[in-house]
Amino acid sequence: MRALCWNGVNDLRVERVPDPRILGPRDAIIKVNLSSVCGSDLHLIDGYVPTMKPGDIIGHEFMGEVVEKGPEVLRLNRGDRVITVSIIGCGKCWHCEHEEYSLCDNSNPQPAYEEAAYGHCTAGIFGYSHAFGGYAGSHAEYIRVPFADTNCFRVPDGVRDEQAVFVSDAVPTGYMAADMAGIKPGDVVAVWGCGGVGQMAMRSALLMGAEKVIGIDRYPDRLKAAQMKAGAEPLDYTRVDVYDALLAMTGGRGPDVCIDAVGMEADGFDTGVEYWYDRTKQALGLENDRSGVLRQMIQCCRKGGTLSIVGVYGGFIDKFPMGAAMNKGLTFRMGQQHGQRYVKRLFEHIEKGELDPSYLLTHKWSLDDGPRGYRMFKEKNDDCMRVVFAP
Amino acid sequence: MALDTLTDGPEAGTTERWVAIMGGTALGLAGLRRGSWALAALGGGLFLAGAAGVPLAEPVARRVREGGLPAMRRMDVAGLLPTMDRDPTTTQANVTIATEPEKLFRFWRNFGNLTKLFPHLDAVEVQSDTESCWKAHGPGGMRVVWHSRLDKVRENELITWHTLVDAELPHRGSVMFHPAPGGRGTEVRLTLVYRPPGGQGGRVVSRLFGSAPEQQAREALRRLKRIMEAGELPTIDGQPRGRRGMREIVE
Ligand SMILES: NC(=O)c1ccc[n+]([C@@H]2O[C@H](COP(=O)([O-])OP(=O)(O)OC[C@H]3O[C@@H](n4cnc5c(N)ncnc54)[C@H](O)[C@@H]3O)[C@@H](O)[C@H]2O)c1
Ligand SMILES: [Zn+2]
Ligand SMILES: [Zn+2]
Repeated sequence: MRALCWNGVNDLRVERVPDPRILGPRDAIIKVNLSSVCGSDLHLIDGYVPTMKPGDIIGHEFMGEVVEKGPEVLRLNRGDRVITVSIIGCGKCWHCEHEEYSLCDNSNPQPAYEEAAYGHCTAGIFGYSHAFGGYAGSHAEYIRVPFADTNCFRVPDGVRDEQAVFVSDAVPTGYMAADMAGIKPGDVVAVWGCGGVGQMAMRSALLMGAEKVIGIDRYPDRLKAAQMKAGAEPLDYTRVDVYDALLAMTGGRGPDVCIDAVGMEADGFDTGVEYWYDRTKQALGLENDRSGVLRQMIQCCRKGGTLSIVGVYGGFIDKFPMGAAMNKGLTFRMGQQHGQRYVKRLFEHIEKGELDPSYLLTHKWSLDDGPRGYRMFKEKNDDCMRVVFAP
Repeated sequence: MALDTLTDGPEAGTTERWVAIMGGTALGLAGLRRGSWALAALGGGLFLAGAAGVPLAEPVARRVREGGLPAMRRMDVAGLLPTMDRDPTTTQANVTIATEPEKLFRFWRNFGNLTKLFPHLDAVEVQSDTESCWKAHGPGGMRVVWHSRLDKVRENELITWHTLVDAELPHRGSVMFHPAPGGRGTEVRLTLVYRPPGGQGGRVVSRLFGSAPEQQAREALRRLKRIMEAGELPTIDGQPRGRRGMREIVE
């Protein structure tokens, strides 16, 4: 089959590779219909997530059809149209039983990296480096899914492929960001980053009863989508001072909830010393993650408010304003998405027309255009929100 | 080597340590071995240490060399926090498994099952109520055979054993099962105390079995957990990858 392989920093190639086969009794093979790019892939492509190996197939947000299954797969059948959650749960450990699937104890076959770096290992993720298991990703014609009964979900008839594909990752991630924040009526929610994840976080916050949602980014097309599709008030951080603007929009209180949908490659602090401090240390390998958004959120958040972080960080950050966070009594919630917890609810929202993620798909391309697609997505050209490959 | 010399050997503290382990005190080994790395050095000093080239990650680097960790790029290793310095002859691993002690006890009590937990172990043949013959292989297929005798068996709680005179690598083992709080299943503690001739614990184990003892214990419990909970060991062996990756595997 054809697959999009990582061969080094900024070096992706479409290659011929063997077809996947069933390796465990609870595996299924999915024929991929649609497979999307995600902001998380950029961290791999740009080299910020170590433990990638040449030849690794990337991609983790996908939907398709069950074509083969192991003897212990009970809930799925050949021919089922399914989405697969990007992060793999075993379905049996304490964390999975408590619906914390991304903290699964058992799905990462290469736990040593994370145990050394983080103290414990977390769940395996498709196409997301060997520290997260080294599973082959979905930018391919077929993909093997372990623990398929736990991780694959049949798509209801009323949900189209172009909507369903994002229920694999962007939708549950945004939804969880809003859910973790414990939004109450009257709350004002500010979302940093208007990519696919941020868009879904904004829409979800409104569904959960937020009074007002503010979307922060620099790209006009994304800000427009935040306004027109997600129902947010847009804020261009290159035109206004984010702190001043947010305070002005909240009667001086600051947003009750601040959501980070940007992660470790935050831009826009390039005028300040702070940005160059982060950037230089990142380049020297002394700090992995740029934390400008986090610092800004702490500064802006209402006293006693909540920071909900789904933008991905990998290693260390510096100059973390702990004093402000502590004295302002802030709550921090964060994590990789527990998609399996939300899929059913999300399909219901989509079927009722309360949520339509299909606008995230701005480009539908052949897998052969993978490298070009990622270049466009990375440079945010041509109003690209998400390129989705149809192998 | 007689059993006595294992417990009352010349090394100071062996007995206490043994008591601590077998007694199952909460602190156990961890308490006794804490702190070769001052935590104070980490906090705000991390950046300074990194900049000054202080070898912060030496224990981690050592674990990489001894096979405890897959090799990583230097930058990655330098970012890691060091863990405690480990005693080369005593090894302990702990894990919580979401099942009842009875099930785990029964699994372990059937020594034949241990081949599923220790990849270098080919067979454990039970010869009597208390004695068994263990057959293993080291790197390059070198055969290693020894005999073990059960010491203590407390139903659903504890199994301890020790090697008999013929062992090239004399050691004691104990596995303890304890109900975890809050319905979390069972806390399992595996302790292996090696007493090789010449006192070069870890290195001899590594030479014989290809990985550090500490890693073996941790891996064994991980396998036990995964078999019990997930019903399989997750794997990526045999999945497709691109050309450059394939070449790497062939070479
Ligand atoms: N927690 C999870 O399970 C999970 C799942 C999927 C994605 N993610 C993470 O979520 C983040 C967003 O993903 P995405 O697919 O939407 O990525 P994306 O690259 O499409 O969008 C990121 C957006 O952040 C904006 N941005 C950059 N710096 C900013 C700043 N200083 N202030 C405001 N906005 C800024 C960019 O302009 C861009 O539009 C990534 O870090 C990704 O890794 C997490
Ligand atoms: Zn993603
Ligand atoms: Zn699990």
